[in-house]
Amino acid sequence: MNWMDCPLQREETADLLLDYSARRLDAARAVLLERHMENCLECSKFRAEQAVVWDALDRWEPMPVSTDFNRRLWQRIDAAANAPWYRSLADSLRFANWKPVFPLAAAILAIAGGFLLDHPGKEVADPAESVQGVSVTQADQLEQTLDDIQMLRQLDTANAPSGGSSKM
Amino acid sequence: MVQGVNTITGATSALDLDAQLMLRVREGDDDSFRLLLEKHRSPVIRFVYRMVQDQAISEELAQEVFLRVYRSRGTYEPTARFTTWLFRIATHLALNWLRDVRNERGQQRLDDEGDGEMPVREVADRRPTVEQRMVAQTRLQEVRDAIAMLPDKQRAAVLMHKYEEMEYAQISQVLECSESAVKSLLFRAYETLRARLAHMSARGLG
Repeated sequence: MNWMDCPLQREETADLLLDYSARRLDAARAVLLERHMENCLECSKFRAEQAVVWDALDRWEPMPVSTDFNRRLWQRIDAAANAPWYRSLADSLRFANWKPVFPLAAAILAIAGGFLLDHPGKEVADPAESVQGVSVTQADQLEQTLDDIQMLRQLDTANAPSGGSSKM
Repeated sequence: MVQGVNTITGATSALDLDAQLMLRVREGDDDSFRLLLEKHRSPVIRFVYRMVQDQAISEELAQEVFLRVYRSRGTYEPTARFTTWLFRIATHLALNWLRDVRNERGQQRLDDEGDGEMPVREVADRRPTVEQRMVAQTRLQEVRDAIAMLPDKQRAAVLMHKYEEMEYAQISQVLECSESAVKSLLFRAYETLRARLAHMSARGLG
């Protein structure tokens, strides 16, 4: 790296200043960076402001851990070991991240919907309407059939005497 | 630097030990689990506590972390650092908890505080302070609020970087993103913190 360049001007080197502030930069590069900061107002300002943040964060001490933490944990472990399978499942799902499930569920619904559209089932007609529709059709057909039979009888009647005489 | 030294600074040298201990746990050795618990309990609780800023919740979540480690013992494979795996579980649980609380509180609360901000817990950790410590407590609260107002992933990255002294590579493995993404998260997070905590420079930290 060319230390004539300002680390803040290049994305790939900007983290060097964070490392320096975190006291994680190796000594050789730290010296070079300090030399650069002597002449770079921007980096110098960054260092000062970051130092304020660093010191402020150092003041935040965590609360002490409860003395019975381990005991409670082992109780939970024992309870989990003796719990029925559905309880274990419920516990394991308690803190689960459901976010990825929603796209999957949406995809399954979309596929199922598409399948149903491509394979429609038989329409279920209203029984009363169906009975009525069949009756009308049957009545028409019956009427037509009766007309045909009557016409054939008339033909038979008309042809019967001449046919009999010819036989005799 | 007070926190996190035991866990991560020694992580490289202790990697094999942690993995070996976990492999023993897999074989049914609960004493090895006790050792892992003793070693990593405090860093996990500290991290989760700073994420959710509630002592009771942080301990409950930390217990869930170790419970999951124990439950997963049968299928454990040392494919990554033990601490990476551990903090990945802790981070997921903390982020999920934050998300759930946000959902419970509804959109109005979010509108008031802005995107990415965590719910501020008003009661759980505030102990009564004596008068002479009030100034320091107020400033400490400003630090906590500044962290709390960071978006979730930025907050997690800062806490792992600052307090647990994790390297970019390990943070990226925990957060399951690239190293450059981690650097970007950290840069933006510290930028926000510099702006929010700048006033502490002038008046000191008490």
